[in-house]
Amino acid sequence: MNKEKNNKIKSRGDPAVSAAAVLTAVIFLVPLIWAAACSIKVEGSRIAGPMDWFVPPFTLKNYYDILFSSKVALWLYNSVFIAVLSVVLTVAVTSLAAYPFAKLAFSGKKMLYFYFIIGLVVPGEATIVPLFIVANQLNMLDSYAGMILPSIAGSMNFMIAVAFFRSIPKDMMEAARIDGAGDFRIFWSVMIPLSKTILVTISIFSFMGSWNNYLWPLLCAINEKMFTLPVGIPTFAMTYSVDYVKPMTANVVASIPAILLYLIFEKHISQGVSLSGIKG
Amino acid sequence: MVAKKKSNWCIVLCFILPFLILYTLFTIWPVLFGVNVSFHKWGLMGKTGFVGLANYEKLVRDKFFWQAAGHTFIFVGLSVPFLVMIPFFLAVLANRPGSLRKFLRVSYYLPNILSVSVVSYIAVYIASPYMGFLNQFLHMTGILAKDAEPMWLSDTKLAWVTITAATVWWTAGFPFLLYLSVLQDIPEQLYEAARLDGAGSARMLFSITMPIARSTSLLVIFLEIIASFKVFGQIYLITGGGPGTATRPIIQYIYTTAFQKNNLGYASAMSYALFIILILFTLGQMKIQSGKELYE
Repeated sequence: MNKEKNNKIKSRGDPAVSAAAVLTAVIFLVPLIWAAACSIKVEGSRIAGPMDWFVPPFTLKNYYDILFSSKVALWLYNSVFIAVLSVVLTVAVTSLAAYPFAKLAFSGKKMLYFYFIIGLVVPGEATIVPLFIVANQLNMLDSYAGMILPSIAGSMNFMIAVAFFRSIPKDMMEAARIDGAGDFRIFWSVMIPLSKTILVTISIFSFMGSWNNYLWPLLCAINEKMFTLPVGIPTFAMTYSVDYVKPMTANVVASIPAILLYLIFEKHISQGVSLSGIKG
Repeated sequence: MVAKKKSNWCIVLCFILPFLILYTLFTIWPVLFGVNVSFHKWGLMGKTGFVGLANYEKLVRDKFFWQAAGHTFIFVGLSVPFLVMIPFFLAVLANRPGSLRKFLRVSYYLPNILSVSVVSYIAVYIASPYMGFLNQFLHMTGILAKDAEPMWLSDTKLAWVTITAATVWWTAGFPFLLYLSVLQDIPEQLYEAARLDGAGSARMLFSITMPIARSTSLLVIFLEIIASFKVFGQIYLITGGGPGTATRPIIQYIYTTAFQKNNLGYASAMSYALFIILILFTLGQMKIQSGKELYE
């Protein structure tokens, strides 16, 4: 305690405020703890009261059933496949496009830059109906291409990537150019390795965006086999009206990958959010 | 120089082509194409006839559209104040020293990474009468009389409470991080100086922290208004827009009109009404941000 008092910064750590902070954190975590508690309960046992959570019997049968004898496993596969491919394509397409805007001179650059960031003001939710017709005309409904491609080229990622590439000093490029490297070579072996942090940030946000996307997959996936977890979970949950142990397990299964990624890349996410708040 | 610039175009095009195509096709083209759709009678099978402005005239007279617009405004009015104030206090709580710092930051932000389906179904199971955690908890702690069983999902007023609470729980993390990044930058000396002048924690909160966070609050207000106007998932999944259509927001009405009533033309016209509202707020938000950047 004395040590704490001596520390200037720590002197602000009023215990009452700390207690309030922790209590608030618990309130934020309770719904998730409850979901996790439900998922290891036996179907039909009492789960509603907080006292019931910690009462055995516990079981992992729900997870087994969810993963091996329901459609949830298929939706999990779709979600993972779509999210991974979205990340790879988003990073590739965005960084390629950002390079000439940051490092090359060409005519019409300003206008094209403006064109690429005007998307910031376009609310995707308000163009979902024409997007559906476009996807239909391209024969992309109910396909992975239709689920993935519309979310690849985003103005926000583009803008962040251009800003970051610009901040990389020119002399690195010049050195490579003197060695006879062309633009693709410079892009690949100078820019990309130096931009890891920003590319990781773009990857995580693109993964989370794809993993949790609801409205577009709801329209685009027509066959149950094409559903992602966010689209499938409600249809799965509706088949259980009495007991919600199984749907809660599905909720947990759908959340674990995102939670793990969040815990691993927490720093990147926090910085990314601040960045989006400043840059718009 | 001119020659050099022109020869660059080939390379430039190679770099930007994938982005150019995807962006034009899926972001820009739907905006323009939607205008065309809204001037037609258009079903899921395609265009069936030109109707001019009829879809927009219908919109003006459609009481369900105005009802849905009203619900959207209600939701904006209910959620935005909480999503501006609660995250600020969360940031004040989390901006503290020691090992707690990371735990608090992670706890407050964690719900934000969940999908709307998970959030909605957790909310539904918590709020269900008889089976849910909430009423059990309220009975156990004696806040609620034994025979009282509030219908958190099917009573319109309580349904709004459930929807708003679920939304705040889910989305407070984003503005929380925005505030936190501002609060972290406040120099400790400022508080030290205030303390020497005899200021208490409440005084420091009002005279130092709040004024510094003001421009961020303005940004958060705009961001949350925009986000709340776009509400769909959590209402659709928690109440289904019900009871009846008592909580149905604009996007759900657009969705129903387009894909259940097979009227994509009219749905596009309604989308444009929403589009215009959202663009106005987005431009406002950008103005604040550009002002902020100049200031910094």
